Amino acid sequence: MDKILNNTLIEFKEVSIGYAKTVLHKNINIKIDQNDFIGLVGPNGSGKTTFLKTLLGSIKPISGVIEKKEILFGYVPQRDTVQPLLPYTVKDVVMMGRYSLMGIFKLPSKKDEQIVDTSLQKVGISELRNLNYNSLSGGQRQRTLIARALAVEPQVLILDEPTNGMDTPSHYSLLNLISELHNKSNLTVLLVSHLLSDVANLVKKLILFETGRFQSGTIEEMLSEKNLGQTYSANIEVKEINGKYHIVSRHSE
Amino acid sequence: METVNILLELFPFAILGSVVAGIICSFLGVFVVSQRAVFLGAALTQAAIAGVSFAFLHLINLEELIASLFGINVIEDSFLHHFEHTFFSLLFAVIAVLIFSQSYRQKLLTKDSLLGIIFVIAIALRIIFIQKSPTAEVAEIESILKGDILFIGTQEFYTLLIILIIILLIFSLFSKQLKFVTFDADTASAHGINDRFWILLFYLTVGIGISLTTRFVGDVFTFAFLILPASTAILIAKRVIHIIMYSIFIGAIIPPLAIYFAFVLDISSGPTAVVAAFLVFIIVFFYKKVRS
Repeated sequence: MDKILNNTLIEFKEVSIGYAKTVLHKNINIKIDQNDFIGLVGPNGSGKTTFLKTLLGSIKPISGVIEKKEILFGYVPQRDTVQPLLPYTVKDVVMMGRYSLMGIFKLPSKKDEQIVDTSLQKVGISELRNLNYNSLSGGQRQRTLIARALAVEPQVLILDEPTNGMDTPSHYSLLNLISELHNKSNLTVLLVSHLLSDVANLVKKLILFETGRFQSGTIEEMLSEKNLGQTYSANIEVKEINGKYHIVSRHSE
Repeated sequence: METVNILLELFPFAILGSVVAGIICSFLGVFVVSQRAVFLGAALTQAAIAGVSFAFLHLINLEELIASLFGINVIEDSFLHHFEHTFFSLLFAVIAVLIFSQSYRQKLLTKDSLLGIIFVIAIALRIIFIQKSPTAEVAEIESILKGDILFIGTQEFYTLLIILIIILLIFSLFSKQLKFVTFDADTASAHGINDRFWILLFYLTVGIGISLTTRFVGDVFTFAFLILPASTAILIAKRVIHIIMYSIFIGAIIPPLAIYFAFVLDISSGPTAVVAAFLVFIIVFFYKKVRS
């Protein structure tokens, strides 16, 4: 599958995604390049998770071809899906990121330990390494899961609704961290959210999901009032103030 | 001391076997409880019992088939004499595990509903199988189904010991993979670990352990020792390794003590072990509650 050239990491060619015979989106043609920062936005049930699972290879595309370079993915699941009863430490959880790269019977090496330490440093929670994961706040848990994804030393970092259910300071602090990781490490980032306003001022490209509709493009292309109005069937106003996008819905009088 | 000497003389393998059965259940229990799949234990014990009951229908005579193939006398070979019960107990538990593990990702049924279905179907099958078994064997069936620690003999002990070694080997050799998939299967899969295979191996190991202990010590002991030692250990330990060690300690120490008290008080040893494990749990629970 190493046919793609240049800095393209993944290419979808005429791909249809869905479960069994139910097609959620068809004729998807997109390229994910090195150092891309892409927001995947859409309401629940619009196909974002199916798209991710198809991208990761957990489910096969119904038709079409996905070409990938030899890359590693770091995946950050929704925080609520990880609620262990056993008292794993933060270090235990982050070390799991190394498991797929070790031999089946091998124990973590010094290098693995170092990578775990570096990953914890990158997300700013080195001091929490020996604490119980269950005793952490929502923001700290999310940082732990991001550190675990970074421990893979991935080319592509995928985050599924990372700010869901967080208080405002933790919410923005986490978005800043993701932006920083992208800028400092030249990491390709795919950020899933159901809030357009969350990602509009952060990412470079957008993929918009609506039931039966799939659109992708640069921020400028996607955030036109005409396009958003058509996508969401609503009267939407997009304003750019001090280089920041403000998206509001115009209510009819 | 005299009672202890009598017990050691009369039931050496029952005492050792009860320790091994307790360790198997309490070790597996840590993972079953932490997976919030306690009902899996109930469903699998019933599936194993349905398998034992099925063996008494004598629809497939495996013992004679194996005996004729290898030239063994079934009556004289005590291992082969009870092979069918063990085989079908294992088979039914494995089928239940396969159904459960392959459908854990589907969204039509919750885990609990699926286990509930396996549980009631296993009980219904057991009743039907016993009704259709030869009348002369019903008493034997009942005694096997109830299970009794004191009936653990040499072969049962060695079978349990081998199963314990296999379980410990699987959980030690593949600890990384099993830890990851039981913690967060979706991310394990995204990171390239074959979560379906490892989840299946996890549940198969649990299924084999549960079915064989059920076959030798009964469903009440097995189910109770899957839940109580692990739940007690989770209350007091702060590290995963300590939970495993405390659970195993409780699972190993209670059955021989229960045999002693059952002998002194002239009551059944299995239920005594269950009540003793519950008392330990309740004491730890209130101690923890008072301290916090």
